[in-house]
Amino acid sequence: MNINFTLNGKGMELDVDPMALALDVIRGLSLTGTKEGCGVGVCGACTIMVNGSPVSSCICLVGTLVDKDVWTIEGLAEKMPELIDSFVEHEGMQCGICTPGQIVAAASIDSVGASSPEEVKKYMAGNLCRCTGYQTILSAVEDHVAVN
Amino acid sequence: MQSTDTEFLIPTSVSEALRNIAKEDAIFLGGGTSTALLYKTRMIEPARVVWLGNVGELKGMFASPTEVKIGSMVTMAEIAADREIARLLPGVSSAAGVIGNARVRAMATLGGALAHADPRQDLPPALIAVDAKVSVRGGSSSREINLSDFYEGFLETVLAPDELITEVTIPIIPNRHSSYLRYTPTSEGDYPTVGAGASLTFNGDGKSISTAKLALCGVGAVPIVSSEANLVLAGTTGDDSVLRRAADMVREAVDPQDDERGSADYKRDMAVVFAYRALKACLVS
Amino acid sequence: MSERRIDAVAKATGAAKYTADVVLDGMAHVAVNRSDFPSALIVKIDTSVAEKVEGVLGVFTAKDLPVAVNLYGRRVFDVPILVNERVRRVGDPVAAVVATTREIAEAAAELIEVTYKEMPAITTAHEALESNAQLIHDRPWEYKGAVVTPETGRNIQSLETHGSREAAEAALRSAVHIIDETYTTPGDHQGYIEPQACIADYSADGSLRVWATNKSPYRLRDVLSSVFGLDPKRVEVMPTILGGDFGGKGAPGEVPLCTALSILTGRPIKMVLRYSEDLLSTDGRHASEIRVRLGIDNEGKLVGGIAEALLDGGAYAGFKPVNTVNLHGIVDAAIAYRIPEFFVESKIVYTNNQPKGHMRAPGSPQAAFAFESAIDELGRRSGIGPIKIREINLLSEGDVNPYGDTWLEYRGKEVLSLATSQPNILDIPKGWLYGEGVALYARSMAAVPKTSLRLLRGQGGKVIAEVPIPENGAGGQTVVREMIRSGLGLNSDQIEVKQVSTSLLPTDAGVGGSRVSLGVTVAVADAIKLWKEMPPDQDAVEVTTNEGSDGPSGAYSAQLARVAVDPATGQLKVLEIISAVDVAEIVNSKAHQMQIDGGTVMGFGFGVMEDLLEDAGQPWALSMGEFKLPNVADIPKLSTVLLHGGKGVGPNNIKAVGELTNCPTGAAIANAVADATGVRIRQLPVKAEAIYWAMKEGGTK
Repeated sequence: MNINFTLNGKGMELDVDPMALALDVIRGLSLTGTKEGCGVGVCGACTIMVNGSPVSSCICLVGTLVDKDVWTIEGLAEKMPELIDSFVEHEGMQCGICTPGQIVAAASIDSVGASSPEEVKKYMAGNLCRCTGYQTILSAVEDHVAVN
Repeated sequence: MQSTDTEFLIPTSVSEALRNIAKEDAIFLGGGTSTALLYKTRMIEPARVVWLGNVGELKGMFASPTEVKIGSMVTMAEIAADREIARLLPGVSSAAGVIGNARVRAMATLGGALAHADPRQDLPPALIAVDAKVSVRGGSSSREINLSDFYEGFLETVLAPDELITEVTIPIIPNRHSSYLRYTPTSEGDYPTVGAGASLTFNGDGKSISTAKLALCGVGAVPIVSSEANLVLAGTTGDDSVLRRAADMVREAVDPQDDERGSADYKRDMAVVFAYRALKACLVS
Repeated sequence: MSERRIDAVAKATGAAKYTADVVLDGMAHVAVNRSDFPSALIVKIDTSVAEKVEGVLGVFTAKDLPVAVNLYGRRVFDVPILVNERVRRVGDPVAAVVATTREIAEAAAELIEVTYKEMPAITTAHEALESNAQLIHDRPWEYKGAVVTPETGRNIQSLETHGSREAAEAALRSAVHIIDETYTTPGDHQGYIEPQACIADYSADGSLRVWATNKSPYRLRDVLSSVFGLDPKRVEVMPTILGGDFGGKGAPGEVPLCTALSILTGRPIKMVLRYSEDLLSTDGRHASEIRVRLGIDNEGKLVGGIAEALLDGGAYAGFKPVNTVNLHGIVDAAIAYRIPEFFVESKIVYTNNQPKGHMRAPGSPQAAFAFESAIDELGRRSGIGPIKIREINLLSEGDVNPYGDTWLEYRGKEVLSLATSQPNILDIPKGWLYGEGVALYARSMAAVPKTSLRLLRGQGGKVIAEVPIPENGAGGQTVVREMIRSGLGLNSDQIEVKQVSTSLLPTDAGVGGSRVSLGVTVAVADAIKLWKEMPPDQDAVEVTTNEGSDGPSGAYSAQLARVAVDPATGQLKVLEIISAVDVAEIVNSKAHQMQIDGGTVMGFGFGVMEDLLEDAGQPWALSMGEFKLPNVADIPKLSTVLLHGGKGVGPNNIKAVGELTNCPTGAAIANAVADATGVRIRQLPVKAEAIYWAMKEGGTK
């Protein structure tokens, strides 16, 4: 089936199985910044942005992306360099496997309008990190929220 | 072997969606959070998937002084973000805002959640407590069902395979206060050990209770509705001892199972605690 | 040093390549059919339906494997690549499907029909020790690398003791106050977010290239060369980035299987575990039951102690790398205290559960929970108090620890005092009970690990540092760059640090044991010395460290947990954890702080939520929906106080930090719950329900 959507600002027309997972389709396009973690929508490593909202690409059928505006870490890194800088400066990472998902989630935070530290925590609670203890990630996201 | 030739249809109207579903092994797809998991683990192998994401008439959200209507394809995030719903139906608003995580809330839809009928879900008790009705359309008929009558068993509802939830209607009643509280002792974002939705409607004097509603999730195969709460509370002013007595009635109504979120005995005790707290929250809200 | 970490931009932009991101031409994918039974004989394997699936390239069982002996391991070779006759745990690999895609392989693997004859299963450590217990392995002493003998006892993987039981018992008889309690902890998983993955690419000329989520590439190379009879020089483990490790990525994992399948099919073979499969089939933290007896005299001084640990090692011993095949953290349980007569026994048994291996400070979180709970109970019951009893008994200047070692310094009292003297600015929820609990942990660092490193001249005055180990996130490569920057007076952009394959450097001991920074700093300091003396016609210097000893230097961490408990539900809120940490010089302050914070959060998870839910021979928490890890909304306020000025080891005068703060947290929380409620929880994770029932029954501190 032909599926049309916008990926990282560019129109895409893909001939794919609409029941394939968005995660596998995106990684198959060599966009491997989107990571497979838990595979059940819990950990957040596979987060992509769809129409401004955060989505678990591991439980998202690609057919549901028809006509949507989809962004991955690769596109957001170019579009939002200041957000990348914020994570780099705060060292909001260690092993890095959850980092793209954390950043895509942060980039989508306007979708819920979280602004207070408690709202930011509640929103970011869906992105697990096993290394950092979260403090540097929170600082990076709070900086991003404060600037925007 | 998983076929890769599942038909994927994208109707743009309810009537088209209902025509599309008239096929063996066809299923509706809402936000897809549950369906994608079931499909990728080969638990379901539908011949046809009818995705409702482009059916505009299912995406409305509308509040008047007498009722709130929420389309079945409205997402949890949209419900949680709506200021009118937060003002008129604080229990529903808070339930929609605590489900899963931010990504689940962005994807999961009202209709999909209700039809999935996982008894641990937060929304059903919050909605039952405010007398929500489910509008359903089938190939040749349509009907309206009280949400309290909607569930038949674990993951089972009264819906026929070719029926579609179109919207949920919640009457707005003057002097009604509602709440929803969940108990997640292990981790935020976990399924609740128990969740309690309540509403108290007061008489014109603003003090005596005319009607009380109480419903719980996580403590049975379906959402548990406590009709005894109304018997205890109606006509009283909701003194603390009466609230406790009403809450205590759920002890008999619930039918919890032992699992990793608590033993049946613990869940029964917690159902009483959270029933009390949910009722009490209606007094001060 | 404040320069940004070396891998930050690549990781933040998604450019960093992990094992699962590697794609090779002609690559095929594998999925494994695993046992549903904890203990059974394989009667028949019918692969005929799976073989006919379009896209399937082959279905393989144990009899197809191109090996002389179908066993591997980190030290004990008792783990089958594919099971031939008898499955010993749920999740044992029985057959493998190679297919053109991962999805086809997975679907076909489900179509393999295996007929089993069930055998009695041993699903608890106690059952394994019964005199008539089924033998999990008939002759475990015959395995390569075995440390047991026919005399060691039934179903024993490893038995280690220290001290004299008789002397300790005699000392306890003389005590004025005694504690005798038993503490348990569940099976846990490292919880790295990147599931284990590997690619094996065997060529007909006898060479093998491997990409793997493995932190010990040189050991992996040696295991593969041993199992497959390959020339170690022709086995090349390629560089990669690890998406978290915490001890879980030291074993060969599925690499032996993929290597066998690559040999059999002539294709590169890739396997990426689904996370549920990772939770089911890899090697987590041992469930423990530890009985602790401690006795004090009328001044509160410890006169004797006995710690007896029974650990569930699961179906195979092959995931433990050390010579004892034990967990040194258990034996080291009393390392911070002065105990004239101390006896400890660590018994690890075979069961039909998931095999267990190493997880961040192997044995220490379990031992610290037991020992630091017991001394707390003794302090409260005797009326001396939980802090005072520790002050009386912590080692100090001139002491020898219970293991006969004299450390450069003992700073237990100082970290304890720091942790317990911080201001409290918390809001306590109304109507909740408030309490505080302390716990302490110490570990020593002495031996410089074996490692190697090369410095090369690059273009335009650049210096290239080639290192042997993968970056696991702790920041080892950044430490290398920072040392070269200051040692050679260069700018960051004049230095490139890269991991190279096992063919390009001589050796490394692997990531682990809180020793990466020590090995790296020794190697880099040596290399810089050589580089400065390097003649102009030479382009590179290479160093290999000698396993020397500088210390031993101890590092301490004391934690104070501040908690609130809802008396109506037992709900526990850990409001704050203060970590007082003993440090010498800090090489990279941000990376150091993240080891402290990340460790504390992991200790918090172990304390209140992590549990594989092992029962009846299998873990039931098989997704992150059930196996909960702490998220940012769950965690308490984290506060750190550093005790500066310590005596460290190595050229940079450093102390261990990576495995410090994850160890005392469980005990600190349980001790705080006892303080708040009067009830003592001796089982991790501390659950609201356990507190609730204990409070209903009434309890004593």
